[in-house]
Amino acid sequence: MIRRHPILSVLALLLLLLLAWAWPNRAHLAAFPDIIGAYTAKEYCSCRYVSGNPAAYCEGYVKQYVPISSLLDDEGAKRVTASGLGRTHSAVWLGERQGCQLLPND
Amino acid sequence: MSILSLRRMSLLLGLSLLAGLARAESWPQPDWQSQPAPTSAAVVDLEAYAFAPRDEVQRSGVRSDALLVVRDGQIVYERYAAPTTAQTAHLTWSMAKSLLATTLGVAYGEGRFKLDAPVAKYYPAMAEHPQIKIGHLLNWASGLAWEEDYEYAPLKSSVVAMLYTRGRGDMAAFTAAHAADAAPGTRFRYSSGDSNVLAAALRGMVGEQAYADYPWTALFEPLGIHSAVWERDGAGTFVGSSYAYLSARDLARVGLLMQRGGRWGERQLLPEAWVAFVSTPFAGYQPQLAKPGDAVPGGHWWLNAELPGTTRPWPDAPASTIAALGHWGQGLYVLPEDKLVVVRYADDRDASFNHNELLKRVRAAFAEEVQP
Repeated sequence: MIRRHPILSVLALLLLLLLAWAWPNRAHLAAFPDIIGAYTAKEYCSCRYVSGNPAAYCEGYVKQYVPISSLLDDEGAKRVTASGLGRTHSAVWLGERQGCQLLPND
Repeated sequence: MSILSLRRMSLLLGLSLLAGLARAESWPQPDWQSQPAPTSAAVVDLEAYAFAPRDEVQRSGVRSDALLVVRDGQIVYERYAAPTTAQTAHLTWSMAKSLLATTLGVAYGEGRFKLDAPVAKYYPAMAEHPQIKIGHLLNWASGLAWEEDYEYAPLKSSVVAMLYTRGRGDMAAFTAAHAADAAPGTRFRYSSGDSNVLAAALRGMVGEQAYADYPWTALFEPLGIHSAVWERDGAGTFVGSSYAYLSARDLARVGLLMQRGGRWGERQLLPEAWVAFVSTPFAGYQPQLAKPGDAVPGGHWWLNAELPGTTRPWPDAPASTIAALGHWGQGLYVLPEDKLVVVRYADDRDASFNHNELLKRVRAAFAEEVQP
């Protein structure tokens, strides 16, 4: 097998190593794509509605090295929704003392 | 820390307070008095460092949003970088931890808890960890297997998971579910999880009814702070690790409280023993494991303490300096010997900012010779 299919063998070994690494990290890996959307929604909401900064500033402020695909700021409801890596999260402004909070995932 | 050394420290603190009472004091009641110092070469020097041309493209270098210097209860310097203004409630990030400790200090004075009581007594979700005490959490020495990394190692970062994904519904419970990998009280490991367990324990200390307003009734209102916002997690627990917002002028009030040994006007808001506790290095701290310039952990405050066999982290500031520090360059520095309180809000996205450099230039510009 190894002699006949050297490339396949190396790939199989790599896949095995990847799985061996991924399995104990499965909880981290499952949550990973959620970070950018949640981070962007929450920090933009607070930047805008807690600190009272202009929208253009907050857009730059929340920029990270992982790109986002959309950022929606519903100014009437003070509700911010951000998507990235295929996941969408929203944060909403709750009040003068409470500031913003991420909404639970459905 | 032994009771004896705690008593000795509070005695010293008490004596220094008496000495201070002999002269009239400035307090920001209701508002700060402002006596801007004339622009000297030293002030120009300070601004060249703190307000160097701001890189908005790469976001590199020192990027201050606000710098406020209070000397002996009066503002001597104040500058903001747009869009931050004197009214902006700016994110404190981990400076919130020291605000939480200060809130807890008031509760401590009201006899609501003991430092050596198990956390589980006030927060039952910690029943799995019956040996972890309130004092351990304040020293960031819970022994829980926590990973405090931010945006450069987000996969396994406990703090990112806590704030944004798996922990956001209930950050204290998320932390309590971590396994222990050291005995409580033996190892320093900076942990935002420890702080949020403290924030949850506060609910058990003061009761559900008082909890939602407690930081205001206990701390912010007595100090005349009106700008404070403190965000909560999905369980209604204050995000004690990260999400308090205050104007620079309001944060300086907390600094002045600490500079004056926990006293606000005529009122001893924080017990002297509490101020002594938070200003005492964690006994199990191993400075040889720290990076140069890393401040020494106290009780949810950072210390410029000179530990045996080491030099102090910030050589150009007095060893009695304490600080609240947060991500991206946030800093509240209290220099009791110089009667200085310094607030810096920032958006530093790299590691170029240096606490010692800032304090050196602030002292050159504003510290007066201390009268013996």
